[in-house]
Amino acid sequence: MTPKTASGTRTLPPAAQVEQELETRAFKLSEWMAQQGIFLFTAVLVLFAVVFIDGFASLPNLTDVFNRAAPIGIVAAGMTFVVISGNYLDLSVVAQVATAAVVLIAVTNAVGLVPAILFAIAIALVYGIVNGIAVGVFKANAVIVTLSTTFIGLGLLRWLTGGSIYFGESDGPIRTFGTTRIGPLPLAMILFIVVTVLLSLVLTRTNFGFMVRAYGSNREATRLAGVNTPLVVIGAFTMSALGAMLGGFVLAAFSNTAVSSMSDGYDFRALAAIIVGGTSVFGGRGSVMRTLLGVVFVSVLTNIMVLSGLGFGFQQMAIGLLIVLAVSVDALARKTRAA
Amino acid sequence: MSQTQTDPRPPSEEQADLSTSDGLVARVRLILSRRTEGRAVALLMVVWVFTLLFEPLVWTSYEVTLGRIALVGLVALGLTAVILMGELDLAVASTLAVSGVIMASFDSLAVGVLAALATGLIVGAVNAFFVVVVGINSFIATLGMLFFLRGAAFVISGEAPVRIADVDAGIAFGQPVIGPLTPRMLLFIVAFVALYIFLSHVRVGREFYAVGGNRQAARDAGIPVVRRVFTGFMISGFISALAGVINTLERTAADPTAGSTVLLASFAAAIIGGVLLNGGRGSVFGTLIGASALGMLQVALTLSGVQVDVQNIVIGSVLLLAVITDPSSLRAAAVTARGLFRSRSERQPTG
Amino acid sequence: MRTRRLTGLVGLLTAGALFLAACGDDGSNDTTTDANEDAAGEDAAGDDGADGGADDGAEDAEEAGADPDDAEFMVYALLPQGNDQPYGTTYLPPMEEAAAELGISLTITNSQYDADTQASDCEVAVAAQPDGIILWPAVGDTVRPCLQAANDAGIPVTVTNSDVNPEDEELTRGYSGPDTYGQGAASAELMCEFADGEDIGIIMINGLTGNSTAINRENGFEDTIDEQCSNVEILARQPGNWNADESQIAASEMITAVGAANIQGVYAADDTMVAGAIDALRARDIDPADLIITSIGNTFLGNPLVIDGSLDGKVFQSSSWDGENAVTLMHEVLTQDPGERIVRFMPDVKVTIDNAEDPDVEPEW
Repeated sequence: MTPKTASGTRTLPPAAQVEQELETRAFKLSEWMAQQGIFLFTAVLVLFAVVFIDGFASLPNLTDVFNRAAPIGIVAAGMTFVVISGNYLDLSVVAQVATAAVVLIAVTNAVGLVPAILFAIAIALVYGIVNGIAVGVFKANAVIVTLSTTFIGLGLLRWLTGGSIYFGESDGPIRTFGTTRIGPLPLAMILFIVVTVLLSLVLTRTNFGFMVRAYGSNREATRLAGVNTPLVVIGAFTMSALGAMLGGFVLAAFSNTAVSSMSDGYDFRALAAIIVGGTSVFGGRGSVMRTLLGVVFVSVLTNIMVLSGLGFGFQQMAIGLLIVLAVSVDALARKTRAA
Repeated sequence: MSQTQTDPRPPSEEQADLSTSDGLVARVRLILSRRTEGRAVALLMVVWVFTLLFEPLVWTSYEVTLGRIALVGLVALGLTAVILMGELDLAVASTLAVSGVIMASFDSLAVGVLAALATGLIVGAVNAFFVVVVGINSFIATLGMLFFLRGAAFVISGEAPVRIADVDAGIAFGQPVIGPLTPRMLLFIVAFVALYIFLSHVRVGREFYAVGGNRQAARDAGIPVVRRVFTGFMISGFISALAGVINTLERTAADPTAGSTVLLASFAAAIIGGVLLNGGRGSVFGTLIGASALGMLQVALTLSGVQVDVQNIVIGSVLLLAVITDPSSLRAAAVTARGLFRSRSERQPTG
Repeated sequence: MRTRRLTGLVGLLTAGALFLAACGDDGSNDTTTDANEDAAGEDAAGDDGADGGADDGAEDAEEAGADPDDAEFMVYALLPQGNDQPYGTTYLPPMEEAAAELGISLTITNSQYDADTQASDCEVAVAAQPDGIILWPAVGDTVRPCLQAANDAGIPVTVTNSDVNPEDEELTRGYSGPDTYGQGAASAELMCEFADGEDIGIIMINGLTGNSTAINRENGFEDTIDEQCSNVEILARQPGNWNADESQIAASEMITAVGAANIQGVYAADDTMVAGAIDALRARDIDPADLIITSIGNTFLGNPLVIDGSLDGKVFQSSSWDGENAVTLMHEVLTQDPGERIVRFMPDVKVTIDNAEDPDVEPEW
């Protein structure tokens, strides 16, 4: 904060360098391929579905696609910051989504909506700061740090709440949020898009977003440029925590229930969407908008499989294949360019 | 050091003796400073003291404890080989499930076991193919396999557990063969010894460290990196499949949902054992100690009736402590702290 | 060198503190509980969120009910769920209460539906030489070795919640709990009754893929439909993973897939999921009262839906009956040594609008 002005002048050259590096990267073929890749994949898939799958292109069905996408999408949008900062993923979203959902409904029932939201925000900040300090200050591996905070967080949640399921009031504000539509669109869907756009702006237009991308693409240069790198990491994990919190809210409001097991699998599912969208797990490259596309793509694919009557096993296989395929295209494109 | 200096009465005769013991201390210190298992040993000691005081049953019924250690540790051993090269294998649990299901779908037990183990090798080879030939980060390649193989396990099994053809053979497999040792423990010991020798006394295995430490340097030194990565992933795949075979035999049925706790427990064992996730540092010995500590802890907590949520809080805390007390982590934190102080003292004169 | 040694020491001490605190929880009094929380909070910097949930903390006064010293019997209960699932949450307290009354000291494990963990828990239990083992199979097909080991050690085993396979029954002394297959069957009988011979198409929402209860209920429902009313056709099926939200989306997508006009009924394997399915119908402006809808369960979501006419019928399952009878059955086996295997099925009460407000079908979670 104070040293920012002091170090700002001192370190302009390296910072500009990083920026330049980012810019040149943005126009390289691989980037183009990956970006167009997900657009192309999504377009082809949607076209296929519209032509061959009865009922796909109906409004209720598109609502389903977005209802499927909204909670996981908001979580993934927040987690994109962690991935772009070069820290693989945030496994603890599983615990965070469940905690936020339970807190929203349980505390609203007991005290009120506003305390519930404030309390959930406080928890999200704690998650962001704990994960961020362990990864940013202690330079510990994010996979293991967030794995252990998942254990601790879910353990605490279940231990202290006794694992009960919570139901919101049938005419309370949470229910209203979950069922409100604006025109034909559910509120959750609009929230999903608004959050994605906001986070996208944070990533592309703010100083913080720039530092996250810079840190992800070259840690050492960013540190030498005088950036307070631990703060950047803490910030990235806090964005992820806030995304997970909002995702938990949407999930809880959608069904007006909360239980600690409702977010099982959100960790790897969110990561899968981010990767399919074309964000690199090496850090530096990627965007929130791509995550949006990735989430939509996975949701459309799952929707198509359900509409065709395929079971859970085939759905998992398809998602697995897709991840490998999407990234292979990117990797092979880079290889051919290098050669 | 202080010992020799403060001791006022070293007769010349004992001098030599003492200096050799001092040399021994120094040598032990040197060895210790090179070892990476320190925290795992510390944890194991704590667990020992804790169990001796509160749950002696952990020791008196040692065969149960050994069984749990073998359950927690086997997959972790294979995983260690991959992590040493700086790669990850997230597909271990799914490999375990799918190989079990494949094994149970054959009428002949022997054919089933062979098919399952072959599956493990193939999965490992496919993982390695994507990592070194296509050039995908192993984190993503094995994440894809995690989903794909789990789905395959459901599809092959028809989304329900599959009983093996010869249930009695399965039950017999769970019985002790040598003293109190069941085939599971024997196979675990064999896997440990084989990997230990391979990674510390065989050239190919020792090159794993070089591949994980600095891949370019390893390449420059003429190490066939691609082949080593294939070997590593195939070891991991094979051992996961072996665990799947053992579990399926012992339970007399294959469960497509099996292994839900395997992935995270294996990582925990390896990390507590001092294996560095970025590669190049660690040992299967450390993983063994890490798995022992975790396994004993679980048995002790189960015996004392501590509910699983609290167990998870304990294990999570231990894991978090293990990563942030890694020497390199503490160094990083110290650097940050120093930077903080420096910038503060710099600011003071100017401001 | 020095930092390393310091690290070791600090790590050792902190870890020691953690373990001691965790083990102290066994005593289940307030001070030790606090100590535990503090210790965990030290490095979690209090994922304290959870503290907020503590307003319910009082009601889960868990841990072994009776003091081991004056307990007559020591019993291990090997369960696949506990406080991580709502059913387990309402199953445990009556179980512990009954144990305290009958002088049984319970040690409860939770394998989280991992068959290998449960097998290992079973080895631990057998080694502890308790007077009896209560088993709730995580995966029914995998428990024979555990039963064999307990039998060889002379420890009687009773089964709770979902019974073992018929060929394994000889190794157990009794079963108490719902007939999970029978519940699916009873729900199907309701469906047949309401369909009343008319040709109808229904969609089916199942539990978690691969889960024993989910499989048994699905089979029970489908077999009974095939036998008793072939006029009912299952048009599509998907898992709802016991969740309202996943069930809602899956139901909605199945409606798209087979066409709303072709669906005259919905079956969901539990109350929570049927609530999701009914929400899906409402979101499409389909009146659930016009459809034949059946389910299974005892949640607070279910009965109001029966009363308002959206849910036509369900099979009541009592988690508290389940937990309590697990212990009373074991007590009976231990004290009376009955010669043959006792089977005590939870009554399959069918809940319709006629009896939805009766006290004996009062929702529990």
